[in-house]
Amino acid sequence: MNRFLRGLLHLLRRSRHDADLREEIETHRALRQAALERDGLDSGDAAWASQRAMGNVTLAVEEVRDVWVSRAVDQLWQDIRIAVRGLSKNPVFTLVAIATLALGIGANTALFSIFNGLILRPLPVRDPSRLALLTDGGWSYPVWAEIRARENDLFDGAFAWSGERFDLSRGGQSAFVDGAYVSGRFFEVLGVSAVRGRMLTPADDGVGAMDGSVAVISHRFWREHFAGADDVVGRRVTLQRRAFTIIGVMPPGFFGVDVGRMTDVMLPFAAEPRIRGQESLLAAVDSAWLDMMVRLKPGQSLEQANAALRGVQPQIRAATVSGVVGARAARYLTNPLTLAAATTGRSSLRTQFETPLFAMVVAVGLLLLVACTNIASLLVARALARRRELSVRMALGGSRGRLARLLFTESLIVAMAGAALGLVFASWSGALLVRQLTTWESNVSLELVLDWRVLGFTAALACASAIVAGVAPVLGLQSVAAGEALKDAGRGLAGDRRFAVRGTLAVAQIAVSLILVTAAGLFLRSFASLNQLPLGFVPEPLLVAELQSSDAPIEQRGPRAERLRAAAAAVPGVRSASLSRVPLLTGGGWGANRIAIDDGPMPVEDRSDQRLWRNATTPGWFETMGTPLVNGRDFTDGDRVGAPLVAIVNQAFVRRYRLGQQPIGRTVRIGLSNGERRYEIVGLVGDSVYTSTRDGMMATMYEPLAQIDPEDFRETVVLTINAAHGQRAAVERDVAAALARTEPTVAFTVRTFDQFIDATVTQERLIAMLSSFFGGLALLLAGIGLYGIVAQAVRTRQGEIGLRMALGAQPAGIVRLVLRRVGVLIVVGLALGLAGSLWAAQFVGPLLFQVEARDPATFVGAAGVLVAGGVLAAWLPARRAARLDPAAVLREG
Amino acid sequence: MGLTNTPSDLLPGTLELLILKTLVSGATHGYGIVEHLRQASDDVLRVGESALYPALQRLLLNGWVKAEWGTSENNRRARYYTLTAAGRKQLAAERAEFDRMVGVIQRVLGTT
Repeated sequence: MNRFLRGLLHLLRRSRHDADLREEIETHRALRQAALERDGLDSGDAAWASQRAMGNVTLAVEEVRDVWVSRAVDQLWQDIRIAVRGLSKNPVFTLVAIATLALGIGANTALFSIFNGLILRPLPVRDPSRLALLTDGGWSYPVWAEIRARENDLFDGAFAWSGERFDLSRGGQSAFVDGAYVSGRFFEVLGVSAVRGRMLTPADDGVGAMDGSVAVISHRFWREHFAGADDVVGRRVTLQRRAFTIIGVMPPGFFGVDVGRMTDVMLPFAAEPRIRGQESLLAAVDSAWLDMMVRLKPGQSLEQANAALRGVQPQIRAATVSGVVGARAARYLTNPLTLAAATTGRSSLRTQFETPLFAMVVAVGLLLLVACTNIASLLVARALARRRELSVRMALGGSRGRLARLLFTESLIVAMAGAALGLVFASWSGALLVRQLTTWESNVSLELVLDWRVLGFTAALACASAIVAGVAPVLGLQSVAAGEALKDAGRGLAGDRRFAVRGTLAVAQIAVSLILVTAAGLFLRSFASLNQLPLGFVPEPLLVAELQSSDAPIEQRGPRAERLRAAAAAVPGVRSASLSRVPLLTGGGWGANRIAIDDGPMPVEDRSDQRLWRNATTPGWFETMGTPLVNGRDFTDGDRVGAPLVAIVNQAFVRRYRLGQQPIGRTVRIGLSNGERRYEIVGLVGDSVYTSTRDGMMATMYEPLAQIDPEDFRETVVLTINAAHGQRAAVERDVAAALARTEPTVAFTVRTFDQFIDATVTQERLIAMLSSFFGGLALLLAGIGLYGIVAQAVRTRQGEIGLRMALGAQPAGIVRLVLRRVGVLIVVGLALGLAGSLWAAQFVGPLLFQVEARDPATFVGAAGVLVAGGVLAAWLPARRAARLDPAAVLREG
Repeated sequence: MGLTNTPSDLLPGTLELLILKTLVSGATHGYGIVEHLRQASDDVLRVGESALYPALQRLLLNGWVKAEWGTSENNRRARYYTLTAAGRKQLAAERAEFDRMVGVIQRVLGTT
């Protein structure tokens, strides 16, 4: 090591060392001269003799240099200088190559940094490898209370949290912020400390603690809402219409434990009853709304922790089983509690995006391959153009290995520059991609960090690119012989073998591009078919306002909603306004597990995906939505509490429960934990979607909103407004004003159905967008590659073409001559690409909706696009060839 | 034997060994080393500069000698080389190795 350092120092002070050595040797010579003079020579002879005895001083200096710095390092430095000089002599080539690679590497890095942020990166907390998540979703608060009572016996602490959205507004339209209820030791167990004030402690979370109205805010929230003010501690923030005192600010980079979600506000669980009032879930055993993590003791393995947990499982289950009934209770008691490693936190995005992300990583890898092939092709062309120079270098004694290294250094430099630019491109495009994931219902926030994983990945990509792009020109070097190019003055002939390398590269490029274009076509068709799905209602004129009445006592919610509905209906431009209990297209809803028709037997439980969905509406709702009433009647004002229970069903319901031609007048029985309710069917309506467009038409039963028991009235109710044609935007504004005027404390959001539908196709839209981008880019690169080959071929064959034309060949014949060669490349490339696409289709299949993975139309279309692109790329230089003036060409040649 | 400008005339590493041995008797400059080797070998070993200085630099790189600028007999700036502790150890080791090598060579030559 010391040796290496001394060598490095020497390199830095090289000219100084050389001068020292020359002086030392001169002293040596002078001493010898003096000795010779003492022996009797005269001073002139002595000087000459001493000079001669010395030998080659320059060589000695060089050899000394070799002692310190190995020749390889020196030559590497020289290679880099020559390569940079060569590259800067041809700036267009260099810029195209670097930009191509920057796009390729940048796109790869962007996707990888998302992959890294979502899946690989550990939580930014103390010792995240000791965290474990209690799996299988939500838990009730009583279960958490049982775990908390044992947290220090079984583990090194535990915590629970529940992600929530809080409304920051004091009235009118809602402004949501992502937040969470957390247990008292949340921050302590994670090992996260405050940058201002303090974090929550168990004292803040004591059930019934009077100090439940405290909040901790994120670093980002502090910056954005309080401008990073130092006196933020002690100030107030309004959440769900209630004031909370800020007691501390979380450190920058800490987002909570839900990866992909920025938890801006954290409240203790003690605050939950203050917000939810009578509907507080703290005592409910059947509400699964918490997640829990534990910190393993030092040295405790996951298996040991699981064993410890299972040891106390009977007590935990038994203490929390009351209220859970029947078959569910048995399952609840026996289902084993399981801990899973949670080093990287928890994320609902992971399962949703793992497969598409992987598919995109493959696609973008293929794209990089196309980019590298292009650069390889360009480098080969350059090497061919430089045959003369290389041949001369070889004739002057440059070894083949040294020349190969020189060519390779060029591709390495291009790759490094491309990677550096690619990092810039990646940090921009990665953030753009993440923004695409945000929808009305989930605010995706993922911090993309350039950590060692991302940088290492990029460096590896750059090296791989350099190798892929650099090998072909080096192989081509084998055909260069010393001095050969000096003899041959550059009169190339048609079937030149040198083009074989570039031809192979073009074939590979076309094949890979076809795979990417085919995939893009499949994803686009899949996305299109998702967007053309029938809804069963007319979304264009509709506005959906969700009214939040959590601040009002339950019994006042119904009348209040009706007042708001009437206010909205009175706004000019509103054709109708109706209420319903459940918003559509949110992925879930209000269902029934046990249902029977007429006097049929009541089933135990229906847990299939195709369960019965329910909704409750006011009269006129179907008309507002544009859903046709097929038979019977709509609800009327007479259908209210006390009147006989009635229901309207849709045609899917009739098919599912085999009601035949005459469903009106039949009875639907809904099983409850304490008995059942009977409804008479009074109307039949057309089908419509419920959970999401891709789930299709759902069997649905509608009840009058007025027949819902007042104590079952939810805190949100949906107001659907049908606006007159072309007035939706104006109506949205006026309705918002009217609602705020009518009930100053009501919170609401107004959305259109486009937003709901968009949210259900985020993944498909992203894939379609990305794959079209990649496909288009691959097509462009392949086109450039083909263009380059044909242009080069035309230049080399100029003499031959001129001769042919002088002998009477028609321009069309010349174009055909050039295209025939390219045609072979395209056909071979397409054949290989088709085989590759057919093979790759099996992986794409699961991501497609209503499109076959081997959809013939898409395959033919993709091939057509490639042929068109290829022919265009080849036709441009071919046409130029056909316009050559034969006389001029022959004179030059 | 004529002028030794390439160390290949000697066994590999022998020149370094001889330089180290020369420096045992005290610090000296390049010319002093050459002269000492010439006199001690009765004019047989004449080391040229293009062999001597790379060898000296190798010794410097390995930390076996250190160099200081001083003034020579003819009032010029000259570099004086001194043996370091590591150099002394190296000398002992190389000397043993050399003896073994010579012994081996003689044994080979002795067997006909």
